[in-house]
This record gives sequence, C-alpha cells and structure tokens, in this order.
Amino acid sequence: MKSELKVQCIMSKDTPPAAETEQAIYSLVKIEAGSGAALGTLPANIALVLDRSGSMDGEKMEHLKEAVGYVVDHLSDTDLISVTIFDDQVETLIPSQPAKNRNEIKTRIAGVIPRGGTQISDGLKEGMREVRKGRSQDRINRIVLLTDGQTWDDEDACLKVADEAGKEAIAITSIGLGEDWNEKLLLGIAEKSRGNSHWIQNPISILEAFQQEVEGMQSVAATNLNVIARMSDGVKPIKIYSTVPMIADISKKAIKGNTIGMTLGSFDGRKGQAILIESRIPAHQEGRFRLGQVEVTYDLPATGMKGQSVKTDLFVTYTGDTAAAAKVNAEVMNLVEKVSAFKLQTRALTEVEAGNIVAATRKLEAAATVLLDLGEKDLAEAAEREILSLKKTGALSAAGTKKLEYGTRKLTMAMTGAMKK
Amino acid sequence: MKCQECQMENIEGALFCEECGAKLEDKAELLETAEETGVQLVLTSSDGNELEVPAKDEVVVGREDPISDIFPDVDLTNLGGMENGVSRKHAVIHREGMDFTVEDMGSTNGTYINKKKIQPHARQTIKPGDEVRFGKLSLSVKAA
Repeated sequence: MKSELKVQCIMSKDTPPAAETEQAIYSLVKIEAGSGAALGTLPANIALVLDRSGSMDGEKMEHLKEAVGYVVDHLSDTDLISVTIFDDQVETLIPSQPAKNRNEIKTRIAGVIPRGGTQISDGLKEGMREVRKGRSQDRINRIVLLTDGQTWDDEDACLKVADEAGKEAIAITSIGLGEDWNEKLLLGIAEKSRGNSHWIQNPISILEAFQQEVEGMQSVAATNLNVIARMSDGVKPIKIYSTVPMIADISKKAIKGNTIGMTLGSFDGRKGQAILIESRIPAHQEGRFRLGQVEVTYDLPATGMKGQSVKTDLFVTYTGDTAAAAKVNAEVMNLVEKVSAFKLQTRALTEVEAGNIVAATRKLEAAATVLLDLGEKDLAEAAEREILSLKKTGALSAAGTKKLEYGTRKLTMAMTGAMKK
Repeated sequence: MKCQECQMENIEGALFCEECGAKLEDKAELLETAEETGVQLVLTSSDGNELEVPAKDEVVVGREDPISDIFPDVDLTNLGGMENGVSRKHAVIHREGMDFTVEDMGSTNGTYINKKKIQPHARQTIKPGDEVRFGKLSLSVKAA
C-alpha cells in the first residue's frame, strides 16, 4: 500500500492534564509526499503578467527579460504559456500557446520598452483571460504577477480577480520588486488565490523567484488538496493556520461549528504542507479521548484518480501525572512560536494603521523578543529598527514593513525545508 | 495560567502568551518528535503490501475496532489481521533514539521476531532485515 500522501498528526501534548476546566491544545497536521508520490507529472498552464511601467527601465527590465527566458527554456513543449504586459494600458504580448516557440517568445520579450504608469487590475484580468483558455483540471494553472509600483486606485478590482482565480483553482504568485509597492495588496492577492508572494529587493533576484516558481510547478504531487477535520463534541476549534508557502490565518473561512474544512489547491511534494489547529478541549477525567478525525482528500490527475482520501485520528490521553502533563512536543512548540511572531507583527501593523503608536510599539517589541528567541536575528533587528522609526516619526519604513510582513510569514519555510526527502 | 512577563491571564494549555508572545511554560519538558532521528520503518507483507510505521515514539500495532474505540497506528485489518489472529492491541513498536523495539501487549497469539516468540511486555530490538510475526501474520522490517 504505497501512499501518495502521508498524513501525520502531532499534538502539543499527548497527555494533557485531567482538569476541571477546558484547556488549549494545538494539533499539527503534517502532509508530506509518500513513497508512492510522483512529482511533476502534470503539464503547466502559466500566465506571466508583467509590469512594464516607466519605473521598470534599466536593470529591472533586463533581469526580467532574462527571467522570462529562463521560464520559457525550462517549460516543456506541452506546457502552455502566455505573457501579458501592462502599464496603464495592457498588451497581450504572447497569447496562450504551447511553450515550444521559445525563440519567438524571447524575441518578443526582448522588444518590450518600459513606459507609462501602473494599473495592475487590467493586467491581471487579461492574464486571467489567457490562463482560462488553457485551464484544465489536468494542468497546473497559475498566474505570475510582477510589479514594482503602486497601482492606481484599483486595489479592490485586483482582489476581486484574485478571489475569482482562487475559486477556479488558478493560484496567483505575486512578486513585488523594490520598495514602492503595496505589500498588503500583493499578499492579499496571493492569499485569496491560494498562491505565493515574494519580495525582491534587488532586480538580480527576479531570476531566482521565477526559478522557484517553475520548480514549484514541477514538484506538484497532487491537486485539489482538501483538509477536513471533524472534531468530537466538546472540542472547539479556535484558530487554523496553513503554513506553506507562507503562514496564513484561514480560521474565518475554515471553521464551521466544530468542523474545519479548507481547500489548499495544488500540493507541492517537495515543500509539503503543515496545518496548525488550535482548539479548546473539554474538562475530562483521566483516560484516552478522541479529539476528532482529520481527512485529507486529493486528486491525482496524471493517473485519473480523483477524491483519494487519507484519514487519521486525533487522540490525547488525559493524565493525573503532573510530570507527564507538562511534556510538550518540541516541533509543535516551535511552529506555535513562529505563528505567534507572525500574529504579533500583524497586530503591530494593524495598530499602526489605527494610529495607536504606543500599542503598535509594544507589539513590535514583543515580536522582536519572540524572533530573537527563534534565532531570527535579522528579523528581530528589523523589528527593533521599526520600533525606533515608530518612536521618532510615528510611522514604519516601507522596506521595514515589507521585511517583517514577508519574513514572519515565511518563518515556516525553514521547517518545511527539513521536511524534504 | 498567568504570563510572567505581562501578567495577562491565558487559558490552560496555551504555549505562548496571547498578549506579549512570551513562553508560558518555561519548565515544560520538550519532547523531540521521533521523526527527527531520521529513521523510519516500513513493514512489508509477503504479497508486497507496505505499511509505514508512523514517526512517533510509541506505535500501536493491531486491528481496528471502532466499537471499542480502538484505532491502532498500524492497522493490520486489511492484511488479513483477523484471519491471522492479530489482537486489537497486539504490540507496540517503541522508538528509542535511533533504535526500535517491539513489545507484545499480551496478545492472544503472540509476537515473534525471526521465528522466535518474544515474552509479553519485554521489549525486543528490531532492525531492518528482521521478520516480525503478529499471530500468524508475517511482515518484514525495512527502513523507509
């Protein structure tokens, strides 16, 4: 029985104390590629939506052209590609087509000249139109958006497209270049479409981001990944976080009463997936207690298998032994701490937006301490710098905000690195 | 549970303070997840079926019985566990650092390693290449 996916549930405490009040427990649901998994058997359907506004001139555009060349060279002949370029106008440079016309695509890209302003939503809509042409359940459907600028008052339209994309299983990877763009928007686009987001400080890194994207598509082991957790009576799910490709609070969408349901799109067999569930468990006497059951379902389009399912139970054993009740699983503890850093950072930004500088400073100080404890010296220093900036100017720096937003969300990627086979 | 840093009251079982992110159970003993040892076992039946031994410190081997609320980690039902006399909680595979041991849990039909019956509740080392038999169901041990 070789399984394509392995599911493992780890509790913060296997033996919580038998208590008279309810208590918090954390369950880590780890999904990894099993011995029967085949990676990269699905053809891609990718739409590149690229900013060619005036500010992209020079080094940025040169590196972008090189990165598009890399994508074209590393797709196979059966993959589909389209290229849409936008400033305040949109042009479909390469309509959706098999990636085999490599030289022609590169020649057309080479001719792009930066000009004009930035209107992301029109570019995204056009990219959606192109990716829809080849959209199929048997392909990995994806949009890669790259921009270096603030969009012109069309944030809501962008998020609407992202929402539609998510519903149609088209993940959008949003890439922000430099410092003058809206990280809230780009992260929102990624979260709504269940995609990824990158911050690139230096144009030289565009290639790396595009490489990651191509490799990610070629590591897909399953599609239509869904996780359902049915909790027993008395167990209350409070918060749910997905942690790959970055930490996202999906509680609102996922929790319905004591059932948790989430759609996670395509499954990257190299990165795996890890879900953190925070629940309240009831007061209970000593003995074994079934918290619920987790079911992971997925499709394997390459073999025509749909709705494959792996089920696993969540158990704890309430104990009266105080030493046993104090034992905490180190892996779960570490993940909860990373999520804690992410939460503190997010709250700090919310407080800044609301003008509560004192509260924001306090949250950032707490975040810095947690980050330091996690060994994230670089991020902790970034938080310290932003605390100073808040105290001096009452505002955060553009680069610092981006560093913290992306850095804390991606704290988990080191962990999933360890999940690699 | 009161946070020592900010005095905020947190729910029992919380690991980090909801308000300031400070660690709440400094004295908590951290258990390393078994998987971190990097070794994982697979049990293979004579007809080639593979069962992964989940990466944890204690893995129950047996037969599922939802009525009695018994859900072993390694369920031998589909390999003919019932016909071959596997008990519901037949044995436990323990992980001890890099090593594995099998403990028979007082099963009706016994546990055998390389055709030798082991005493109930006495841990016996197993390693890749061994044959382990639960009742009449024989499985070979491999590294995953």
